[in-house]
Amino acid sequence: MGYVDVSAVRHTLSDGRVLLDDVSFRIGEGARAALVGENGAGKTTLLRIIAGDLAPEAGSIARTGGLGVMRQFIGSVRDDTTVQRFLVDLSPPAVREAWDAVEATELTLMETDDERSQMAYADALAQWGDAGGYDAEVTWDTVTVAALGVPYERCKYRELSTLSGGEQKRLALEALLRGPDEVLLLDEPDNYLDVPGKRWLEERLLETRKTVLFVSHDRELLARVADRVVTVEGGTAWVHGGGFGSYHDARTARHERLAELRRRWDEEHQRLMELVRTLQQQAANSPDMAGRYHAMQTRLAKFEAAGPPPDRPPEQRVAMRLRGGRTGVRAVIAEQLELTGLMQPFDLEVWYGDRVGVLGANGAGKSHFLRLLAGQHVTHTGDWRLGARVVPGFFAQTHAHPEWHDRTPVDLLWHGEPGRPGVDRGRAMAALRRYGLADQGEQPFRTMSGGQQARFQILLLELSGATLLLLDEPTDNLDVLSAEALEEALAAFEGTVLAVTHDRWFARSFDRFVVFGADGRVYESAEPVFDETRVQRIR
Amino acid sequence: MTLAVPPTVPDPSVRSAIARLRQEFPELAPGPIVLVVRTCREELRGSPDGALPELVERLARQRLRVALD
Repeated sequence: MGYVDVSAVRHTLSDGRVLLDDVSFRIGEGARAALVGENGAGKTTLLRIIAGDLAPEAGSIARTGGLGVMRQFIGSVRDDTTVQRFLVDLSPPAVREAWDAVEATELTLMETDDERSQMAYADALAQWGDAGGYDAEVTWDTVTVAALGVPYERCKYRELSTLSGGEQKRLALEALLRGPDEVLLLDEPDNYLDVPGKRWLEERLLETRKTVLFVSHDRELLARVADRVVTVEGGTAWVHGGGFGSYHDARTARHERLAELRRRWDEEHQRLMELVRTLQQQAANSPDMAGRYHAMQTRLAKFEAAGPPPDRPPEQRVAMRLRGGRTGVRAVIAEQLELTGLMQPFDLEVWYGDRVGVLGANGAGKSHFLRLLAGQHVTHTGDWRLGARVVPGFFAQTHAHPEWHDRTPVDLLWHGEPGRPGVDRGRAMAALRRYGLADQGEQPFRTMSGGQQARFQILLLELSGATLLLLDEPTDNLDVLSAEALEEALAAFEGTVLAVTHDRWFARSFDRFVVFGADGRVYESAEPVFDETRVQRIR
Repeated sequence: MTLAVPPTVPDPSVRSAIARLRQEFPELAPGPIVLVVRTCREELRGSPDGALPELVERLARQRLRVALD
């Protein structure tokens, strides 16, 4: 069993800003700790420090039990890395080093087949055996069978880029969970996994006896798996010793406590300064008071030298104001609607104020359905119409706007578009500030993070005056705090919402579900359905 | 007579290497081939079992070639 002990760690960015200061926490043996925080708060930096990729400027990391690390990029590997190389890289250092030695001696042997090279090769193989390499190969066979359904010998030279993002993640997770390392650092292990994949991950993390520290934005995963939550915010980190269910209240209570401590310090500071001023005047008139005046000066100096307690972290400055407006009672009507080749005809009535989750299989036509309602051209048969005063506003997945890539948010707001009038620079900046995007106002859209792009799209919905929100995976790139801000905004929205989502936590805030089945059937469900399999098509 | 190298427990890797090398080097008497193979086997003691046949045969072939040159 292993543990991680982080003690008084400090890290300064290259521009001189202190990103992390006095970060201390311990992940004890067998714990499953979540690491959360806003994008850019320092989660990945902290993971890199724990993994040993970065040396802390101050403080130290202690750990035992061997460390296995799954990096965030896994799932999007597009280079020529093979399955074999990938599994070697996920192995303990001794196995990696022995493997590198075997590879190097094999190369030498191909060029110079003399006695010396042969003995070096034999030594490298012996080291490979001593390092547990042959045992590792047996494990890799189990891993590839579990993750890909094929033995190691049949897939070891296959390039990772030929695997889907979910398969890459699953391969890494199987290797780490079955491997010898007792401490696992997992950076967004659930990315690229569909809901059944996420459920599988949850079960595996719950049953493992390893010590796990993981970063995730999936609140359902956090709620099911984490037995403690490490939050990176305000330039430091703190630990909530309970699960995610009680995290929100714990965080609010902590912020209030910090604010109260700071308020008391400010009051005491003010009181001491007034005392010093009073005693200064008295000492000017009466030499007897000089001693008390100097004593009070010393006390004030010591108080100031000790410094104030940490202030409460600034709240994420996201204030979404999705206003909406009253529309006809029937907001969306579909009669025998069929998106050509995607589904069987179906009827649907959505009422004003409904919150409809659109769920189902990948490739079943969910996004096309939203695009149709948004007024885009989608080939279909049957009828559909929107009710009186229904104005659709469409939120697409963040990669769906290539025409915005080189434009800045201020430029996009200034020019407007049909249905959304342009606004002057002052109003644009004020709106961007409310969404925590003031610093990105002049930066090309393509250089913004996924979360920033998502928030900007929601701002456009706000400005468009939409009364029917059509949202396609709106929480996909949002950190936990931004996702909660979106949910609050949607709760206050006067109008109708249809959202395609795989986010189980987000789906709980909906009251109706339309499911697009893998068999082409479209049906309503009172409960969310997440186990529709992918639609199989001849490709 | 005392052998320079104590006899190893006969194993398939030694037997198969001797058989192949005898065919490959007909100009050599069986004795020196056996001796070279057994010496190589001893020197490679500690190598993984699975890799031993290939390692023994390669090293012995190398030494026999050098001896003939």
